[in-house]
Amino acid sequence: MLIQTPADGLYDELFDPDNRVRPHYRTLENWLINSDEDMIADKRREADVLFQRLGITFNVYGQDEGTDRLIPFDLIPRVISASDWHKLQTGLRQRVNALNRFLHDIYHNFDIVKAGVIDAEQVFANPQYQPGMQNLKLPRNLYSHIAGIDLIRHNDGDFYVLEDNLRCPSGVSYMLENRRMMMRLFPELFAQAPVAPIDHYPALLGETLRAASLNPNPTVAVLTPGRFNSAYFEHAFLARQMGVELVEGADLFVRKNRVYMKTTVGPQQVDVIYRRIDDDFLDPLSGNPHSMLGVPGLYGAYRSGHVVLANAMGTGVADDKSIYPYVPDMIRFYLNEEPILKNVPTWQCRKPKDLKYVLEHLPELVVKEAQGAGGYGMLIGPRASKAELSNFRDLLKARPHHYIAQPTLSLSTCPTFVEQGIAPRHLDLRPFVLSGKKVQMVPGGLTRVALEESSLVVNSSQGGGTKDTWVLEDDQC
Amino acid sequence: MLSRAASSLFWMARYLERVECQARLLDVSLTMALIDVPEDREEQLSVPLLVTGTKETFDELYKELTPQNLIDFMLLDDRHPASVFNIIQSARDNALQVRGNLSADVWDSINLSWMEMKELRQTGVTESNASQIFDWTRARSHVFRGAAYGTLLRTDAFHFLRLGTFIERADTTARVLNIRHEMATASADEHATRSFFEWTALLHSLAAFEAYQQIYGPNILPLNVAELLILELDVPRSLHACLHEIVVLLELVDQGEARKARRLANSLYANIHYGDRDYIAERGLHDYLTDFLERIQDIAGQIQKDYMGWQA
Repeated sequence: MLIQTPADGLYDELFDPDNRVRPHYRTLENWLINSDEDMIADKRREADVLFQRLGITFNVYGQDEGTDRLIPFDLIPRVISASDWHKLQTGLRQRVNALNRFLHDIYHNFDIVKAGVIDAEQVFANPQYQPGMQNLKLPRNLYSHIAGIDLIRHNDGDFYVLEDNLRCPSGVSYMLENRRMMMRLFPELFAQAPVAPIDHYPALLGETLRAASLNPNPTVAVLTPGRFNSAYFEHAFLARQMGVELVEGADLFVRKNRVYMKTTVGPQQVDVIYRRIDDDFLDPLSGNPHSMLGVPGLYGAYRSGHVVLANAMGTGVADDKSIYPYVPDMIRFYLNEEPILKNVPTWQCRKPKDLKYVLEHLPELVVKEAQGAGGYGMLIGPRASKAELSNFRDLLKARPHHYIAQPTLSLSTCPTFVEQGIAPRHLDLRPFVLSGKKVQMVPGGLTRVALEESSLVVNSSQGGGTKDTWVLEDDQC
Repeated sequence: MLSRAASSLFWMARYLERVECQARLLDVSLTMALIDVPEDREEQLSVPLLVTGTKETFDELYKELTPQNLIDFMLLDDRHPASVFNIIQSARDNALQVRGNLSADVWDSINLSWMEMKELRQTGVTESNASQIFDWTRARSHVFRGAAYGTLLRTDAFHFLRLGTFIERADTTARVLNIRHEMATASADEHATRSFFEWTALLHSLAAFEAYQQIYGPNILPLNVAELLILELDVPRSLHACLHEIVVLLELVDQGEARKARRLANSLYANIHYGDRDYIAERGLHDYLTDFLERIQDIAGQIQKDYMGWQA
């Protein structure tokens, strides 16, 4: 099949600026141009059926059966060279280390605030800051045991961190299932390319969770909101792979500040809870009183140190957009190192100088709410109408504290199967970083791809798909 | 293991066993309706409704008891919980609850049944392709059983799953025997040939026709049938075989405090294990089976209370 070349000025993962194939893509490119369209169409159908059978689907409730939806899976892997990965891995380790140090600091000594690196107001007035976490001693001083760091590659060829997800990052089951699918559909490809394995992720996760407790042989459970949650498949998948119980709030209870599971032989104490429920819903007694998902008394048990939550409560303050600009400073402050991964330059509109710049350059910038998530209340300058721009000018002047602005980045592209054949589409990357006795990750991550032409939105809720992510074990293939 | 998971596995297995039983029942009834004289056709068709206790629901939803209506009602109708469509859905819902305890193969066997069932519902089932559907149902049941046997750890997850299977099977055998035995006995006085077919139907419904031939030979006698399906340990769907499994499984299950379910099961098991055909004849089969049904339901209820009940 023919591979469409990318538009000028964009970074393409497969083609270099002169439209030559990059060395680490040669095997794949060779395979693609020799692949027959019908065979690929067959394989795509086969993948769809297999994913349905696996039940890796979203349930759309309130509708008739047959509405289980799949996140579109693209058969062309995204390839990362060994040298790129080496740099990414070192940078991710450094960044997550600093973020965990930061979280420990802002709930204990406040060194970074005292040193004047971050304003006190930025930390303590942040709605994600949990005063109740102050002075709570956590094993190994770890807060974000599982972090998902969103990266993009800009047209200068460098990776930039777009966002740190330190609460309940999801998507790792897609990373694992996408690989399994590719190996099943195209075993011959893996014989040709030195793709680094990733299927030990559940083992590393289990190791990380056990290391989160001081108990040498802890009982671990995965806490899910239940099967109506869109990530339920992932919760069940990870629990099964790790050989631990998958529990819902109603399966747990607290007695004398200890957490127990309701089992067929009576209560069994739980030491580590890998919770996939937000802070606010964990305990109706201290958070949202209407939460049916949580466990009454869990917060008290947590405070008394009889149970470990992974991730800890109150990590949200460190992945907030208003804290994001400070991460490079955190790395310098805590680790005394220069940041390896780049941050996207960010203007904080609460600073008069920044605001002035933003107002002058609004049509070139992306403006986001500092506390917002999921792309709501966002302005993409280059694509906004005059009226939208003027509306945002007013908003910015009225409530500058609520906004940050960044340059409009161009996400790199990668060949993707679309209706018209194989065409470049924009993508990002979310590696999963595990912090336990040491910081570990499997080589790769979840690659999300925007399936619409020139779209930069990779979210699955808005028509994004996923790809298998290959990290090569050596640069030549 | 988690009580909720035990409960889901128990019910998942019950539902899957129910699917197989229901398909066999329906299959035999449709065949018998073809053999039977026209005036008795309706009686034949009503057997699956009587066994599953859905006669009233059927009458509310359909005007006439025809083979096609019965097929629609028993297989595809989503308006009542006893249709195969809804039972498979319930099984799959329960499987989804305990995905963490299921092997990939067991999950796949159930999820695939559900996916194919949804397709089947789109295409519809008629009298002419019904037997293929029954074959499919039996085959799906075998795949599930094979996957469970071949891939699940012999932990309590497996034991509770199996308990669900045998509780459901014992219950079904007793119900089918109760209803079909009555019909066959009633027709025995009128017509010997018809009576022969009635007994054949009963045995086929419980996949025990060949077993009867091997043990008793070609002559079908009512008390032999009762003995085979109640007392014969080697017949996989006999009450004795089911109770034997239940008792063994309850021994294997991790015990917390003293368990009442064990006592109830062992007592009923002893009754059958040391029972004989004369006692059944003397007491009357109908009476005997009614008592059995009550007791097996008590055991099922007690298992749930002992291991799965955490109501505060």
